[in-house]
Amino acid sequence: MPLTHRALVRPRVTANDVPVPLADDVVRRAQQGDVDAFERLYRAHAPAVHALARRMLGNEGAAREMVQDVFVRAWERLGSFRGESAFGTWLHRVGVNLILNQLRVTRRDVARFIDDESDGDVPIATAPAIGVDERIDLDAAIARLPAGARTVFVLHDIEGYAHDEIAQMLDLAPGTIRAQLWRARRQLMRHLDA
Amino acid sequence: MTNSPTRIDAHLTEEERHGLADDSLPPDRRADAEAHLAMCAECAGDVARLHSLMARMTQLPDTVDAELDTLWPAIRSRIERGKVVSLGGEPAARRSRRRVRQAAIVAGVAAALVLAFTLGRETRPQANVVLTPGLNTTPIVSIADSSRAYQEEVQSLLEELELRRSTMRPATAASVDRDLRIIDGAIDELTDALERDPNNPALRQLLAASYRQKRDLLKQADNAS
Repeated sequence: MPLTHRALVRPRVTANDVPVPLADDVVRRAQQGDVDAFERLYRAHAPAVHALARRMLGNEGAAREMVQDVFVRAWERLGSFRGESAFGTWLHRVGVNLILNQLRVTRRDVARFIDDESDGDVPIATAPAIGVDERIDLDAAIARLPAGARTVFVLHDIEGYAHDEIAQMLDLAPGTIRAQLWRARRQLMRHLDA
Repeated sequence: MTNSPTRIDAHLTEEERHGLADDSLPPDRRADAEAHLAMCAECAGDVARLHSLMARMTQLPDTVDAELDTLWPAIRSRIERGKVVSLGGEPAARRSRRRVRQAAIVAGVAAALVLAFTLGRETRPQANVVLTPGLNTTPIVSIADSSRAYQEEVQSLLEELELRRSTMRPATAASVDRDLRIIDGAIDELTDALERDPNNPALRQLLAASYRQKRDLLKQADNAS
């Protein structure tokens, strides 16, 4: 199955796909060691990286740490960016890889943490409550999902990766990915209906 | 996953419901599933709710509200530290690993001095040659020497730090002072080296980078206080 990405799957234009003015020149200067140019790239792309991190990690503090890690890693790897895709797309993949690495480190391995969550919901005590009068907040509902289901859901339904690609990234069977995805959707529907 | 053909009179499986909602159900199973939907309000309602959920996901903004400008100084600091410490290698340890970082800074400055002398001799006809992470040993023309501009900003930040010192946690103040001493030591060494070799462009760049580190540290301290 061909690999897909949100830019191909989602019908709307995303921040990752909008070229920064003079992007090529800015990227080239950053690749030559110009930190000021890299700061321009940061300002253009940090919000999208932050949104990705916050949705996948479900935690604002961890997301802010991850934004820093992603941009430091991107700086280190700038030499490997060949311009074959948009810079935002390349950066997005750097971010996804780093986030998954962190999940592997903190959870030993993704397969294990996904299997560990094969039943039940997030314990109420650890799930931030959505107030009755509060405007329905999809991001808050996503943050309440168990980590494994949230990871698969964000990658598939928000970022637009295909089942098989997620399975490859997580080294899991596609069937496991589908099961997690369905579980995440069901839990979200319950959270949002509550 | 079930591979058996869908019977029109049987309720849809979970796979079929999600497959219809996200359009991933294989075409050969789709017709039967849709035929069932036409006669089953329960399944049709469930698929509609799933579809609605996915439609809402496409409305999610690509960004979430957050102030991210404050993260840049720390990123820049880590980048600059990586430049001075390893000149093309992996980044320094995380902030929390203070001892390792301090040792790395000292070792890095020493290594950078040696390298700067070498580069200065080899590249004297060129302007402002440094190495950058990600490009390993590729020399590049970098931004102009800006030590003086950083010095002025540093002085202003130092004055602010003194004003805020009384409100800082003692541990934070001690930590900032310790890092400042390390960076000042590097600045002193680089200044001495420049006095001996005033036309060395790599030394000028390293001095500017050290001042920039000092500025970023002071900004971080300002944010922390």
